[in-house]
Amino acid sequence: MKKNDIETGRAQARVVWPAHVPGVAQGGSRGKLAKSVGLYVEGDKVKGTARRSTGIRPHDRDPIDPRSPNFSPP
Amino acid sequence: MQTTERGKQPNLVEMAWDPVTRIIGNLGIYTKIDFENREVAECKSTSSIFRGYSVFMKGKDPRDAGFITSRICGICGDNHTTCANYAQNMAFGIENPPLGEWMINLGEAAEYMFDHSIFQDNMVFVDFCERMVAETNPKLLARAQSTPAPHAKVHGFDTIADIMRSYDPFTGKTYLEALQMTRLTREMFCLMEGRHVHPSTVYPGGVGTVASPQVFTDYLSRLVRYLDFAKKVVRMNDDVFDFFYEALPGYEKVGQRRILLGCWGAFQDPDHCDYRYENMTSWGRKMFVTPGIVIDGELVTTDLVEINLGMRILLGSSYYDDWEDEEVFVARDPLGNPVHRRHPWNQTTIPRPQKRNLEKGPYSWVMSPRWYHEKTGEHLALDTGGGPLARLWVTALAGMVKTPFVRSTGNGVQITLPQSGTLGEMEFEWKVPKWSNTIERNRARAYFIVYSAAMALYFVEKAMDRLRTGDVRTYQEFDLPDEAIGCGFHEAVRGVLSHHMVIKDRKIANYHPYPPTPWNASPRDAFGTPGPYEDAVQGCPIFEENGPENFKGIDIMRTVRSFDPCLPCGVHMYLGEGKVLREVHSPMAGLGGA
Repeated sequence: MKKNDIETGRAQARVVWPAHVPGVAQGGSRGKLAKSVGLYVEGDKVKGTARRSTGIRPHDRDPIDPRSPNFSPP
Repeated sequence: MQTTERGKQPNLVEMAWDPVTRIIGNLGIYTKIDFENREVAECKSTSSIFRGYSVFMKGKDPRDAGFITSRICGICGDNHTTCANYAQNMAFGIENPPLGEWMINLGEAAEYMFDHSIFQDNMVFVDFCERMVAETNPKLLARAQSTPAPHAKVHGFDTIADIMRSYDPFTGKTYLEALQMTRLTREMFCLMEGRHVHPSTVYPGGVGTVASPQVFTDYLSRLVRYLDFAKKVVRMNDDVFDFFYEALPGYEKVGQRRILLGCWGAFQDPDHCDYRYENMTSWGRKMFVTPGIVIDGELVTTDLVEINLGMRILLGSSYYDDWEDEEVFVARDPLGNPVHRRHPWNQTTIPRPQKRNLEKGPYSWVMSPRWYHEKTGEHLALDTGGGPLARLWVTALAGMVKTPFVRSTGNGVQITLPQSGTLGEMEFEWKVPKWSNTIERNRARAYFIVYSAAMALYFVEKAMDRLRTGDVRTYQEFDLPDEAIGCGFHEAVRGVLSHHMVIKDRKIANYHPYPPTPWNASPRDAFGTPGPYEDAVQGCPIFEENGPENFKGIDIMRTVRSFDPCLPCGVHMYLGEGKVLREVHSPMAGLGGA
């Protein structure tokens, strides 16, 4: 495919402009954490569930003992 | 490296090394040597490359600062990322979550271990290796052959000459082992910060690294392997440097200058650090490497606010126009203190390329950062002692660091390393030396390797403690403010590092990184005060046995390299219309003909 076969629309950034385009959410923007699947806030901590690692029956994959920390696989 | 004899005066021989090898960038050392009295009479330090981060950072998105400024350096880029993020945290009003902070500390500790190892064992020690000493001081080598090494049981080398031989480039045992070890420490770094040396997972507000027990045990297993090497290195360094003092009486004068050391602190404590300028004095003192300034052996401050306000960027011998009439961005700091117009927050970089004039005029692209000492009214040319000397000196005198593996005693630093593969638990004590000279700068580097390793053990413990509570938070969300100011203080591997940022209209209005080399490699300032390299080399006695015909300048090179010079961060490049003013290739490590 030739490069100009792709319709990209009008460029929103130029070389000398900041890389971040207005309207595109940043990973670190406020509110992102609450939308993250498999993470929940508990006091000053953020804890994970098995949903963080898999979408296939995640509840079955949480630790047997609820007191256990829940980590993603490496 | 090019060594040229540029002309003779009645008693002085002009000699120049330009560029100095085994460092990055284009450092030139121009000297006048008095061979009759065996002394360097005059020295000027120049840099002929020009960059310009402070020029092209303007208008950029503040969130990109860490990624862009990382490219200032190809060996300690992550120090810039970290420092930029400290400055952004202050500007955005956020702090790193504890786990994120411990992970940054672990990454930075790995960086210190990596960089100090590769510089000390593969570059500095080429100046002390058997082949080099045979060429410059054959009598000294003969004595080394018959001098037993006091710590032979630890490192396995019977004589001082055996240690020197192990540092021969490309063939020596320690030289080769050090290369392997730097691979290991880079792996440790990558586990925490994603990629070496430009981190991919370090952002304002924390890290994107997924915290899991595995990532910490992977780090720890490598660290324990590294401990064996670190323990041996300290003892080998002690043996060689003590031998130099003993075999060459007066060698303490080589590279000696007034004790003027600055350290901006490293390793934040997340239990205390909130990144607010108003609290900077207190959280700065909780850092695991204490910030401070030592003048003539006395600790004059550990207050980061005082350190910040005392910074002055002077011209005098640099290729720039003054910015006296330019905009003042920050008239007062958030505590209401007045900020000088020569402070980095208020600096405007105006390059003025011109011919080098070593006699009367400007001769370097490096500016002259100085620290204004309010009590005496002096503009002090602080140096970093190559990084570790200032870090250990300030930390030792301050007596504020008390951890299970590292303890500051008021006149030294005690470091304990647990049992590792082949060596048992070992205690090290770095004691405040009598001089700020070439040997002590180099010796401190070896001790800071074990300091970093010991702190890393502590950070792993703290991170695992946090992880066991189930907390996996490694970053903090934030919004970009319309207007803000921030400053970050950190230690790059070779010394003080600060980033000063001003945000207007959600863009960077002013940005000034001040890494260690502008401090160390600065030329004569407007008051005529020489920079630290110049100061340390001027008056340096010559112990080399060669005469002017085949003079290698080994004592001068040892002195310059003891500062761990790294020029890319020392200058500011301006490319004009995309035109590269000068291309240089990086000199490689090797005997070369230094």
